[in-house]
Amino acid sequence: MSKPKIAICDFTDCEGCQVQIISLREKLLDLEKHFDIVDWRLVQAKKEKGPYFATLVEGTPITPSEIETLKYFREQSKYIFGLGSCASLAGIPGIISKENREKWYKIIYGAGYKPQGIDALPIQAFVKVDFLIHGCPVGQEQLVRFFEELMAGQTPSYRNYSVCFECKVEGNPCRLVEKKPCLGPITQAGCKAVCVSGGSACYGCFGLRTEPNIRALLTILNNITDKKEIERYFTMFLSRTEEYQKIVKPNL
Amino acid sequence: MVQVLEKKQINDFLAELGKKFEIIDARNDILPPKQYFFPPKEEIFTFDKKSARVSIPKIKKDFIIFGLSLPDLEAMVQLDEIMRKPQEDFFYFQRRNRAYLIGLSEDPICLPPVCALPGGDMILEKINEGQYRVLTLTDKGKKIAKSRFLKSFKNIEIKKYPDGLVPMPTLKKMLLDPEYLSDIVAWSWKNDAKIWDDLKDICLGCGICTYVCPLCYCFSVEDRNASRCRQWDACTLPNFAKISSGFNFHKTLKERYYNWFFHKFVRAYKEYGKSQCVACGRCKKYCPAGIDIEKVLINIKEDYEKYLSVAKS
Ligand code: SF4
Ligand code: SF4
Ligand code: SF4
Ligand code: SF4
Ligand code: SF4
Repeated sequence: MSKPKIAICDFTDCEGCQVQIISLREKLLDLEKHFDIVDWRLVQAKKEKGPYFATLVEGTPITPSEIETLKYFREQSKYIFGLGSCASLAGIPGIISKENREKWYKIIYGAGYKPQGIDALPIQAFVKVDFLIHGCPVGQEQLVRFFEELMAGQTPSYRNYSVCFECKVEGNPCRLVEKKPCLGPITQAGCKAVCVSGGSACYGCFGLRTEPNIRALLTILNNITDKKEIERYFTMFLSRTEEYQKIVKPNL
Repeated sequence: MVQVLEKKQINDFLAELGKKFEIIDARNDILPPKQYFFPPKEEIFTFDKKSARVSIPKIKKDFIIFGLSLPDLEAMVQLDEIMRKPQEDFFYFQRRNRAYLIGLSEDPICLPPVCALPGGDMILEKINEGQYRVLTLTDKGKKIAKSRFLKSFKNIEIKKYPDGLVPMPTLKKMLLDPEYLSDIVAWSWKNDAKIWDDLKDICLGCGICTYVCPLCYCFSVEDRNASRCRQWDACTLPNFAKISSGFNFHKTLKERYYNWFFHKFVRAYKEYGKSQCVACGRCKKYCPAGIDIEKVLINIKEDYEKYLSVAKS
């Protein structure tokens, strides 16, 4: 039996999540015994046409041609998986401030330039997506878990617990208890709370956990800091989520 | 005769023990001692396809956990009991049987026959600025007490200390009557619904209270590629009571949050005759929403008493 064909494509992003796949090194070779990566622009010359068993999409499309390419992969693939927060949440491209963009267009490209780019949106705004591998960048352990589940014919599963679990396991005291903002309680685990362990807040790059109590977190944040800061925290990764638009934004 | 350890020799004592045992200093731990017997995330066995063998984690050395608080020692006695029923939890006792627990108390301890000692194998009790009295509770304790750093005295100076900060003094008292606690918590679900309605709006459902509680022991199991993994679970999490058909027994955070009380104070009383809480205060200390179970229980108690007095008149 021939091995399932996989494509890995990328749009607007930093390519860091693909680097995470490459960094799996021997583990990637092990995994590759079970599938063939037949189209992967970043690392190989080989480029086969579809249909594919699955396509991993890194980044988010912001030009008409990128959107077309994404749609092509959707048609050709049994499964589409978002790889990293740019794909799953619009991530870093989603932070762009519109006003500043206008200004810089003119400075960089001159007055005659006609911008093509649209506002970054998560890929599920354009095509049906089967599963999102969150993270900025995605974690290696998480990737292995994902590929193993896929190869075992299981539906990949989300972690339905908060970053707080991993944060406590890492032995961190709690930022919120210390009156410092953190989005850990509403964020899906999987990153081992690296940001908090490193001295930063969790900004939610792993996406929202199932049934997050955002209102309760807003109450806590309102007691700690001001609305501007709260907006800054939420818009780092979560501004394109429905929950942000419906629950957070009206309260800012 | 009383055995005494000089404060400045605590580290020497531990270093000596360290030649034979692995030493874990728990004094600054956030997570409770259960973590050493029932790790937050653990591969409990792996299966090797080639040899068709199952292998389990091997515990190489006896180990000492040093510096447990009195509530933690008490919790360990209770957790051992829980882990024995209905069947002995193999993975828990595989570690537990290799462990020696040393408690450390900066306050005077109420001794038998007035009180029962809380648990553990040895407790160091501060008796004055420079010295700790060594209390040995078990054979394991006696074994580690054979040290040149522990000196025997006929007369020791015991300074009377004011009671230190008990984390949850009122709750500690309430725990003396677990039947009453069980009754009022069970009563509150329907008759004091406002309490739970308010809490469900404040609680983040993050599960921290459960992780830091020395007497929460829920886990979920996940089968990975040729291995089985178990990981702490928490009843405040959304999928805790979800079964494979997709049905969720606790659909709302209100039900989930209430379950944390129901299990600790109602079900635990039915099953073990006591509450699964030792008033250690961790759940309050680490709750990002500042929820204080002692206050919640006091509120329920007050509402219950009001209800009773109205019912009587
Ligand atoms: S610091 Fe953030 S992630 Fe860590 S426990 Fe507190 S709220 Fe959760
Ligand atoms: S701590 Fe939060 S922001 Fe940092 S990697 Fe984890 S989910 Fe992303
Ligand atoms: S720690 Fe606090 S906010 Fe988190 S689940 Fe427990 S009670 Fe709720
Ligand atoms: S006070 Fe809280 S953390 Fe401590 S034993 Fe009771 S329920 Fe558990
Ligand atoms: S209170 Fe909840 S998490 Fe703790 S042991 Fe009971 S059901 Fe499990």
